[in-house]
Parts: sequence; structure tokens; C-alpha cells
Amino acid sequence: MRIGVFVCQCGTNIAATVDTEKAAAAGSLRDVHHAETIQYTCSDPGQRAIIDAIREKELTRVVIAACSPRMHETTFRRAVTRAGLNPFMMDMVNIREHCSWVHSDVDTATGKAIDLTSMGVARVRKQASLFSSKVPVTNRVLVIGGGVAGIQAALDIADAGLPVTMVERGPSIGGNMARLDKTFPTLDCSSCILTPRMVEANQHEQIDLMVNSEVDTVRGHVGNFEVDIRKKATCVIEEKCTGCMICQEKCPSRAPDEFNAGVGESKAISVPFPQAVPLVANLRKEHCRQFIRGKCGVCKKVCKSGAIDYEQEDEVTTERFGAIVVATGYEPYDWREAYPDYGGGQYPDVITSLQYERLLSASGPTGGHVRRPSDGEEPRQVVFISCVGSRDESVGRPFCCSVGCMYIAKQAILTKEHIPESQSYVFYIDIRAGGKGYEEFTRRAQKEYGAVYLRGRVGKIYPSKGKLMVMGTDTLSGEQVEIEADLVVLAAGFAAAEGAGELARKLNISYDQYEFLSESHPKLRPVETNTGGIFLAGACQGPKDIPGSVAQASAAAAKAIGLLSKGELETSPMVAAVNQTRCTGCFKCRDVCPYNAIEAVEARDGHQTARVVDSLCHGCGVCNVACPPAVISLKGYTDNQLIAETLELLR
Amino acid sequence: MGTGRGRFYRKGQVPPVSELKSKIIEALDEAEFVLGWTATGSGAAAPARFHNAGEAEDAVFDSTCVHNLAVQLPRLKDKTVGIVAKSCDARSIVQLAAEREVDLERVKLIAVDCPGMIDVKSIRRSFGFGASIEDDGTSLRIASAEAEREEFIVAKCRGCEDRDGGAGDPGNHPLREKFYSMSAVERRAFWRDHYSRCIRCYACREACPMCFCRDVCIMQTRDPHWIGGGVNSAEAEMMQLIRVNHLAGRCSGCGECERACPVGIPLMLLIDEQNRVIQEMFGYRAGIDPEAKPPLLSFNIKGDIWEEE
Repeated sequence: MRIGVFVCQCGTNIAATVDTEKAAAAGSLRDVHHAETIQYTCSDPGQRAIIDAIREKELTRVVIAACSPRMHETTFRRAVTRAGLNPFMMDMVNIREHCSWVHSDVDTATGKAIDLTSMGVARVRKQASLFSSKVPVTNRVLVIGGGVAGIQAALDIADAGLPVTMVERGPSIGGNMARLDKTFPTLDCSSCILTPRMVEANQHEQIDLMVNSEVDTVRGHVGNFEVDIRKKATCVIEEKCTGCMICQEKCPSRAPDEFNAGVGESKAISVPFPQAVPLVANLRKEHCRQFIRGKCGVCKKVCKSGAIDYEQEDEVTTERFGAIVVATGYEPYDWREAYPDYGGGQYPDVITSLQYERLLSASGPTGGHVRRPSDGEEPRQVVFISCVGSRDESVGRPFCCSVGCMYIAKQAILTKEHIPESQSYVFYIDIRAGGKGYEEFTRRAQKEYGAVYLRGRVGKIYPSKGKLMVMGTDTLSGEQVEIEADLVVLAAGFAAAEGAGELARKLNISYDQYEFLSESHPKLRPVETNTGGIFLAGACQGPKDIPGSVAQASAAAAKAIGLLSKGELETSPMVAAVNQTRCTGCFKCRDVCPYNAIEAVEARDGHQTARVVDSLCHGCGVCNVACPPAVISLKGYTDNQLIAETLELLR
Repeated sequence: MGTGRGRFYRKGQVPPVSELKSKIIEALDEAEFVLGWTATGSGAAAPARFHNAGEAEDAVFDSTCVHNLAVQLPRLKDKTVGIVAKSCDARSIVQLAAEREVDLERVKLIAVDCPGMIDVKSIRRSFGFGASIEDDGTSLRIASAEAEREEFIVAKCRGCEDRDGGAGDPGNHPLREKFYSMSAVERRAFWRDHYSRCIRCYACREACPMCFCRDVCIMQTRDPHWIGGGVNSAEAEMMQLIRVNHLAGRCSGCGECERACPVGIPLMLLIDEQNRVIQEMFGYRAGIDPEAKPPLLSFNIKGDIWEEE
């Protein structure tokens, strides 16, 4: 055995705190036939030096003491491969993050670096050549969520030639963007730009659209996920329904209008909105007379195409996917409990911006004429309050919703356009208008549309003679302000879609305290999750505007396409392995394995032994620990390697 | 059996031995054999297998039936067997079932009420090997003199909750008080001294119903090389620490390891403490529910710890 030791100086990153020459003295250890220090080991000449040393000194194993293996393990594995070694015959020791960067005393740091390097030598002595294998991938992508991000991702992936299944929980795709009237800062009609994309997604040959559907369970791993999708019973046969809406017209049961964010009413059976995709009615059992009282049947009678089936049941289908894009979006923060001073939902004329959006929209319940909910009067004085459930530590929502300032400006402009004699007041904390054309837009709202911006929070809203008294502070003038408003619009912050955390647990991806899903790295891996093959798009990851969501969706699509483009995946050879001749068949490994990667095989004498399915194993090592006779080891991190390392440290 | 062969007075046996015999014979309808006890010339009962009604005639149950017969079950997986079991043995069987080492469908359990087993070894140590021992489950006579029974029953029975007169405090090791009054340095010396006597006979392992790895046991393999083969205090300590760790959340506290130890290492002192901690931390006792998963053998990504993050 001929081991080479290379100690990196990393410029002064390591060399300033660690005496690298001394650390290279690990060269005096048994089996070490070469040791040197290199200024930048990852540089081209650095790698060259390793390769040359391997060839000249006929080294068979290499220890590189440098930075974290997260940085350059791949670099050095490739380098030793070029020199003709098995890539796993190289082991890295981290003397930068674990040593020079965390210690200030040269002697201590050097001592630790020597120990770590010697341990690396002890480890690599017990290393075995490892070989990765290739597994075929399923060329199909699951997109969860049919909002603008989901649609964008699905279309990008489908256009690249990969089949996509888009699962949407609601009755139509389109998400929150379909609810918006206009978009900032161009005042494009939201549905005018979105509906063509919705239709395209519906008609795309490569996209299988599943509405009223949810992900039940997820098994498998990157390249080969197995997903149970539950299509909820809506009592309407999707293929037969023509979307004529006659059922909706005749239905006697009223129901809240979810698409219109609760302003206005709908029926128990309804098409969610005129541009819904697919344009299919769905029945909500909890509001339906047929289900509540057991008799009605009006919709079934009037439906000309026989699309109503009260007996319909949930259907669960299982499909395989190579990658998953999660685009579950957001919902407006439910402000009612946290803001009793704003009426806590008691006053009908205190509404959220999404509800106001529906009042502004021509497809909304008022046909685009702004009428306040309480009495249908046209409001003259409209007060907008920003940051309700955003940037507010006192209600546990410290983060910025990133779009409130912009849509308030938009809604103030639209209010003036709808009702020229109206006056808008905006209570704001700061105006955050960082995007292209955003700052100009908020200025326009003030200068051209006369919106009065007041910097401060609103303390209280109370009703008085059919109006709402809004009491706040203008912190710039230091004066108390009281405005008699006809309508108050709250810029409710972003909340993760309901059930986001539960879905994340099914997918085995992490999420933060607000149930926004976590990206793998905020800068360098912004659309990846920590679980291979699962990507994030849009506001499920955090508050985002439409361009941000669309951009991230395209990025997630590119990642999914890239992942599946080769048709097969190289598996890490650092997986667990069972020494089957010594396995007692107690299957404690199977009990603890989080990836279902242990299967039972029958030995020739008939007794059951455990086997690791390489393609499912993530190499987490839990089974390694659980195995009582220690016959499971993790390749590349075997017990013997760890013991050797420890003994070296204790020596 | 009877007073003629042994030195035990068995008139007050629970259950009456005739009932036990008929239960064994009944179990033999399905079972290939029944694990139980038979009397021996030494006076203390010994484990036996009864294959038929004739053999069942030799069955006894008295206060020397201290052995945990469940230890044999993992090796009898492919057979339907009967077993005479005290409540502590039953816990081992339940735990083995929880770990799928025993199929409860294939084990015919004959439960016996246990009066608390007497500690024959310690009586002989104090009174000499020849001293006569008479016990009917309630009163004990040693060398024909009345003796305080509770003082001479084995440690695990003293704390047993399932026995009339049991203290209900499992883990009440005789050395516990002494050990916990020691300083850390003294404790170190205490264990070093005890372990120095270990002869690595592995009796502790062989007597343990939960140590079913047997000949692939990590204590004897050199791959992975967790432990050396030396007979010395350090290796013995490593060996016991591994063993105790492997029993975490699995040990029902039957005390067989300590009883089997020929050099008298107080192994239960370690185990009892671990059992106590596990019950405190996870609210889990081994051998209660065959469906339960030992806390250290489950990988939960849901739960309190996860929610806290």
C-alpha cells in the first residue's frame, strides 16, 4: 500500500493558522510514500502535482487535507481518476472549516490538523475501491400545483418532450393569478395573459392535467418516485361535462364563492369561474341539498350530458415519476384572529386585497363595478393598510410579503380609474419597490392618481354611521390621523398554502416555521430541495411576485429536464451493504430505514436475510447503527474505517 | 418429584402441580414439546422439555424455577412449542414477539403464578451447600430454622410488581445504594475490579433471551473490529457496554445475565439503570406490548423533536 498525503495551504486561508509543513509530517506514517504541501490544491497545477505524484511514486491511495469535501471532493475524485486510481481511493480531510477557520492559535490548529491528517491516513488504509452503478430513470415529471408557477414548469418540461402530470387540488388550474384583475407595473390584464397558458397546458399532448386531485403518498427516490394520486369525488364526470353551467343556474343550494375569495355567493354545484380550465362543474357535498337532506337531484335532472354521478368515489392511481416539481403556492394570511383592532373580520367593509381584486375584476361578483360588500354602495374614500400579517413581529409574521407595496399602488390606481371621484389613502411602513419599473409605478399612484401615502400603522378601525373610522399615526408629521372610510383594504401577507407542511413530510423535504418549503441553498441551489429530484417553483418557497415565480418555475423545469435528460442516473456507491452470511434476519434495519431500502431475501438454508437495494439507499447509515451484530456497513464509511480513525487519534 | 428427591417442601405450590401437568398435556396437542422444569437431585429445579404425557409427569414448578426459558424460543422459530412462563419470562416472550423472533401463534404459553424465586446460590453461600431449604412460597425454612423469606429471594423478584408482596420497584439492585454513594473515581475502580474477573465465557449473553445473534455476535467477530479478544478488564468493559447498549429498550430485566455470570459481576446494576432512564425518557418498558416498537429501534421523522426545529 502506497499512500500520498497532500496538504493544501488554500493561499493563506489554511496556511495562516496551520503550519502545513508540519501537517504534511503525516508523511512519516506507515504506508505513506509521499507528502507535500500545495498552495492551491484545487488549481490546475495543484491537481497536476497530485496526478504526477501518483504516477511517479506509484501511489495507490491519496489523502488530501484541504477544505470541506462539500467544496472539492468531486474535483479531487476526478483528479485521482485521471491518474488511474479508483475515485474512492481519495479521501479528504477538512483542515480549513474544521481547523484554520475556527481556531486562532497556530499551535493548537496545527496539532489538530496533524491529528486529522493522520486519521485520514488511517481511514484511507482501510478504504476499498467502490464502483457506482447506473439505474434507469422514469421519464415523466410530476408537477404539484396548477398556479402560474406550476403551469410554467409543466409547459417548459412538456415542451422539452417529457410527459408531465400536473396535479391541482382545486377544481381549476390558474391559482391565485387567475383571481387577479391587473398585474403591476404594466397593468396587463391578469387573466388575459394567464388564460392562454392555462389553455395551452390543458391541450398540450405531453401534459396530463388532474384537477381536484392531491398527492396521497410518495415512495421511491430521485429518478424513480412512485406516487399515489387521489382524485377526489366531485360527483361530476369530467369527460361528459361540457361546462354549460345549467346545473349551476338551477342549483337551489347556495355556497360560498371560493374563487371570488368569499365575496359574493356561488352554488353547491358550480363552474369555478368562466375561464376555468378544465371548464367542468364540481359539486361541493357539504353545501349540496342532495347530500344534506338526501333528496334534490336538480342538477342531475337538468344536465343534458348525463355528467352528474352522486355515487362517485375518490379514485387513487399510482404513477411513476423521475422528478417532482412542487408549486403549491401561497394563500393570503388569515388576519382575522391576529388583528382584533381591525374588527377581526366583523366589519363587512374591511376586506383583503385579494377580495378587492375580485371587486375590481370584470369577471368578479360585481362585474367590475366597485361596490362595497355591506350595502353595495360605491365607495368614495378607500383606505389601504399595508403589512397586515407581514413585517409584524407582534403577530409572529416578521417577513416581508414582497408584493404588498406594489399591489396597493396598483389597486389605488385602479380605484381612481374605476371611480374618478374617489380618494385613496395608503398606510405604509416602507415602500419596497425593488423591481424593474416598480418605483416609477408607486410614484405614479401618488402623483398621477392622487393616492395619499401616510407612513404609519393603523391602530384601530371602528364603524360609525355606516362608515369606518380608521385611526392611525402619520409618523412623518407625528400627527394622529383619522379617516372616514367607505372601504378598508388590508394588504394581507403571504402564508404557505394549507397543508404545505404535510405535503413536505410526504415528500421528505424540509420546510420552515411558516411552512414555506426550504431550498437546498439560498444562493447556489435556490430551486433544489435537499431531497434529490424534488424541485421548488413559486411562492411555496417564500413570498414572490409573478415574474419571480415564473422564473423559478422555468429554473425548476430546467433542473428536472437536465436530471432526466440522460435517461439514467449514476447511483452513489456509498451505500449500506449487508454481510449476508452473518445476517441473523432480525430486520431491525428494515424497521429503521427511512427509505424502504431493505428487502428480505431467502438464504439457501431457507432463513431470511436482509439485503440493501442500492438504488433506494441514501447511505444515511441508520441501519448500520441499528444492526446488532454489526453486519451492515456503509461503504466508504465502514465501522473498521471509523475504528481505525479513532485508534489513530488515541495513539 | 416430591420431597423424597429434592429438599423442597412443595405442598403449597401455585398452581398445584397436577394442574400444571394437565396444562402441559393439553398444550402438547399442538406443541411439539413444552419447555418447563423438572426436579433434580441437587434440590434446585432444572429446565426440561416434555414431549409427551409421560414426560410431563416429571414437571414441577417451585421457587427454584428461576431460569428464563424464553431464551430458547428464538432457536425454535420453526416449531410450535409450549412454554411454562413466569410473568417476567412472559415479558421476554412479548419482547421477542415485538422483534419478530417469536411467533405468538406458535407459542403455547402456560402462565404460572410466581411466589418469588429464592436465591439458592446465596443461601448456600451463607449456610453451606448441604443446608436444607424448605419453601412453600410463603414461608421459608433454612437448615430446619425459620428464615425471613423476603431476604432470600432473588433481587429481581424483590422489585417485582406482579408478585404478592413484591416491592413494585423494578431495578432495585442490592448494590444500587452502595454504588450510587460512590464518587466517580470509586465507581471507576468498582467496575474495573469487577470486570477484571471476567473470563469471557459469554454466559451473560447465552443466558439472555434478547441476545439472539449468538454465533455472529459482535463480541466475537473481528470484522468489524469493535472489540479485541483479550481477557482483561478493558475488553470486558467494552464488551459489557456494547451488550448493554444492544439491550437498550429491549431488556425486560429478567436478570439472567447476572445470575449466569460465574464470577459474580453485578451486570444488572448497569442494565437496571438503563431501563430506568429509557422508561423515564420514552415512557417505554420492554415486553409489555408485542406491537410496540422499542424507542431506539424506530426512526421517526414526526414527533416532538422534529416539530421543535
